[in-house]
Amino acid sequence: MLSALIWLPLIGALIIAVIPPAENSQTPRNIALVSSFCVFGWGLWIAINYDVAIAGLQFAEHIPWVEWLGLNYDIAIDGLSLPLMVLNGLLTLVAIWISSKEIHRPRFYFALFLLLQASVNGAFLAQDVLLFFLFYEIEIIPLYFLIAIWGGKRRGYAAIKFLLYTAVSGILLLASFLGLTFLSGANTFAYTALQNTSLPMASQLLLLAGIVVGFGIKIPFLPFHTWLPDAHVEASTPVSVILAGVLLKLGTYGLLRFGLGLFPEAWSVVAPWLAIWAAISALYGASCAIAQTDMKKVVAYSSIAHMAFILLAAAAATPISLAAAEIQMISHGLISGLLFLLVGIVYKKTGSRDVNYLRGLLNPERGLPITGALMILGVMASAGLPGMAGFVAEFLIFRGSFIAYPIPTLLCLVGTGLTAVYFLLMINKVFFGRLTPELAAMDPVNWGDQFPAVVLVILLFIFGLQPQWMIRWSEADTAALITPTAQVELSLNSLQ
Amino acid sequence: MSEFFLHNLWLVPVYGIIGAFLTLPWSVGLIRRTGPRPAAYINLFMTFIGFVHGTWAFTNLWHSPPQQLSLEWLHVADLQLSLVIEISPVNLGAMELVTAICLLAQVFALGYMEKDWSIARFYGLMGLFEAALSGLAISDSLLLSYGLLEILTFSTYLLVGFWYAQPLVVTAARDAFLTKRVGDILLLMGIVTLSSYGTGLTFSELEAWAANPPLTPWECSLLGLALIAGPVGKCAQFPLNLWLDEAMEGPNPAGIIRNTVVVSAGAFVLLKMEPVYTITPVTSDALIIIGTITAVGASLVALAQIDIKRALSHSTSAYMGLVFIAVGLDQIDIALLLLLTHAIAKAVLFMSIGGIILNTHGQNITEMGGLWSRMPATTTAFIVGSAGLVCLFPFGTFWTMRRWVNGFWETPIWLLVLLVGVNFFTSINLTRLFRLVFLGKPQQKTRRSPEVIWLMAFPMVTGTILTLLVPLLLQRWQLLLTWSPGNDFLARTLIVTLAMPMLITAGALGVVVGLLIPLSRSMSRPTQFYLRFIQDLLAYDFYIDRAYNFTVVLMVSQLSKVMAWIDRYVVDGFVNLTGFATLFGGSALKYNVSGQSQFYILTIVIGIGLALGWFMFTGQWTTIFEFWSKQLA
Repeated sequence: MLSALIWLPLIGALIIAVIPPAENSQTPRNIALVSSFCVFGWGLWIAINYDVAIAGLQFAEHIPWVEWLGLNYDIAIDGLSLPLMVLNGLLTLVAIWISSKEIHRPRFYFALFLLLQASVNGAFLAQDVLLFFLFYEIEIIPLYFLIAIWGGKRRGYAAIKFLLYTAVSGILLLASFLGLTFLSGANTFAYTALQNTSLPMASQLLLLAGIVVGFGIKIPFLPFHTWLPDAHVEASTPVSVILAGVLLKLGTYGLLRFGLGLFPEAWSVVAPWLAIWAAISALYGASCAIAQTDMKKVVAYSSIAHMAFILLAAAAATPISLAAAEIQMISHGLISGLLFLLVGIVYKKTGSRDVNYLRGLLNPERGLPITGALMILGVMASAGLPGMAGFVAEFLIFRGSFIAYPIPTLLCLVGTGLTAVYFLLMINKVFFGRLTPELAAMDPVNWGDQFPAVVLVILLFIFGLQPQWMIRWSEADTAALITPTAQVELSLNSLQ
Repeated sequence: MSEFFLHNLWLVPVYGIIGAFLTLPWSVGLIRRTGPRPAAYINLFMTFIGFVHGTWAFTNLWHSPPQQLSLEWLHVADLQLSLVIEISPVNLGAMELVTAICLLAQVFALGYMEKDWSIARFYGLMGLFEAALSGLAISDSLLLSYGLLEILTFSTYLLVGFWYAQPLVVTAARDAFLTKRVGDILLLMGIVTLSSYGTGLTFSELEAWAANPPLTPWECSLLGLALIAGPVGKCAQFPLNLWLDEAMEGPNPAGIIRNTVVVSAGAFVLLKMEPVYTITPVTSDALIIIGTITAVGASLVALAQIDIKRALSHSTSAYMGLVFIAVGLDQIDIALLLLLTHAIAKAVLFMSIGGIILNTHGQNITEMGGLWSRMPATTTAFIVGSAGLVCLFPFGTFWTMRRWVNGFWETPIWLLVLLVGVNFFTSINLTRLFRLVFLGKPQQKTRRSPEVIWLMAFPMVTGTILTLLVPLLLQRWQLLLTWSPGNDFLARTLIVTLAMPMLITAGALGVVVGLLIPLSRSMSRPTQFYLRFIQDLLAYDFYIDRAYNFTVVLMVSQLSKVMAWIDRYVVDGFVNLTGFATLFGGSALKYNVSGQSQFYILTIVIGIGLALGWFMFTGQWTTIFEFWSKQLA
């Protein structure tokens, strides 16, 4: 069942690749839409059939592959990956939906998008660390091309930068995964088997460092973050949506699953430092965001700040904070996807993202009033307005982390306060004020472009008012992350 | 039937939200044929339903005990968060006040916003405002109250920024949001702390927890200060007071609500959290100090304003300062009475000046005059509102003050002085406004000013009558205690006997001073340096905004610029440098591959030489020597 999530988009990509090229053909886009719709629907179907009462892996599939190496096609889903898989389905659908109908080289473009979706789904589902690594690396390729071909002026620079950073991240991860297997003498890369290995603290710390830095580049944390603003600025809108909405979550997901999950003891040693790192990263991202003049950069730096909250929650590793980390991933995925989408509409209509040039876009007759209104809502969700998903996630992160690390938590709260500052400055400059004559000749936005944004806003409200619908999927599994070793001991005791 | 109304009281805020939601088709332009008016009517209807529902529940509730309705909102691990509302006479009374004032303001807005093209959006926001306010009135959980306060902050932002094309509005909306947000974030810190230390977040649970808190006094003080920060922002208290003044750029009907029930909502949350403040004296002291500074400062600043709305908005801050003092002194009943009497009187005053602003197209009082004969109903409303605001028999504030100083509560001497002062300055201010606006010769802008249309006159007159009825209301709700002596001898003799005469005299004196001071209509400034300095100091709000610009704002903006610079040139610069060095090194090294064997041999020789040199330097020479001698031997 789960394999369909990986293979369905691949088949879609293959079909797009083999159909004959035609001028102005909508066929590739339509195929991509159908395919991503099916994947999203299939993801929902799996979510419906997923039993939330049981912690642990479900729908497991096992196909022996390179057995002498210990690499197998092991996929399964649990509460940690399920919401992210559905998020990936939704945002890929959104990204394909908002992709321009006149895009050049459509077959390549949409095939890459589907390939990206397949590899990200694979990474979320993989239960074999080497398999995860493979998917993690495959995902770089389509994204590299998506930035390098359909990007802005400095797309080459940004794409190479992204590629190099992520490649380093991959090498560090691979080193840690291999090190874990070889040092522990386990003859396998299966996640569950690796979980039960025991290593001396020194090697644990070393391996954990590789994983934390590796994923820290992907998420990204200060000082490994500089690829992100460049990549976002140069990437086209749909790519930004996926990059911020889903790909960064690959990093935080990995941090929870392979950092905290595989090295709980070493994690507890470094956790205080991680919490401080989170606070610094959050404040740094927020203050950089204040000074930006490119709307995309503001949102990009805001991502850095908001992803740091997840590090804080992971460092605290209390049942509440881990559940909160998971829902922060979902809510940030929805919010950042929404914001990039709206910035994309502004850019498409005005040809600019400069906050000092744009002005008065709320103008009801010749401006972008609906886009502006949605933007205000998205920004408020990001700033943690109660009633929307962002508040639930952030409140629970702070509530869960305060007991463990009060000072970093309070600093992160200051970071939340700064969110309002930079986003409000942006909104006030871009949307308020009088529309300048140069901007007054905008075509109205058609509803098709705004429809996904409306859906995302509605989802943010639904999850904000009814947070249990977000939490229920992952609570059992995040709780299980905390002390797997302790639980194993407990169950052993009960057996005796 | 009444049971139904009581148990579904949570519907009252929902009516507001439904109203706001239903305006969407008009505000986004889906329906254009009808014009935006139907959206306004729908909202008015929903507010009316809310008012009727509340009234019905209120009249039936009077003698039944308070009850709580709870809805489980979220549970993670051991954390359970519920949204709780409490149905008690005080809460319902507050909700009645909210819905009544919202209803009046919305009817008023029909006239005031008649020609505005986006009236649908305005009513949508008013609906949201009303929902958050009525929710706050009945909320019994700190979390719910926090959420609603934030929604209030958000809708204030949008309402102040309603005419977003004007430059002053842009900054006003931003400042309103950010100032309140500072308070809200501190409040959120307090909530996170409270919740982390194992208490539930309903007000009754907080009260129980505060009786025996597991914290050091120092931590309790910090916690208390964080918790009062939210209300400080919401009630426009020093040092978060400037937004209310700037917010006067927004439409007047929203100003009616903002200056009455919105500020009161902040104070309402404040006094519900009162048990937590009593843990340490620091918090109550802070409340009293903040309240005193604001009461004195805002009363003085109001005197120098020439914008009619700003002159009144500073007086709002001053009265909220009195509420803070009352809470700080643990006198909740007084705080509630103050909120009630102030809200009604202020609503009438704001409706009155709304009519003036609309019909004279200006807010500058130096350009007005002689309106009394042209706008009799508006003049009456202004007089009655002023009478309700100052300590004048037999209006609302008189009874509130009488209750405060009648010896039942402990009244320190300084409080009496403060009350006398506030009363005196408020009287001067209102008299000054009255002289400039209504008396004297008509000016250019006021010469043809007609009386307001009935849509505005109706709520205004209703409000006027309501202000006159406040004493009766107070009597009916048995809020007017009979005289009962305090414990302190001094308090009984001196304060109790002298307080009321002093207050009334101060008011009368204020009126006299207000009538006598020379008021020039043209923007004259005193020639003497000191007088001019004082006038400017007050007119520019003690330069607090400039102080902020040179401290907090400057710091944040410069720090962010420095950070962005570091990010661009140091962090990213290091990355780019590494990349550049690699590329440069690679292209430099490629010249080594020259194909000349001499060069390769030279390289090898240099390499061996360096290696040997290193061994000698580190003293490993002997090891190597011994190794080879063994091999050769």
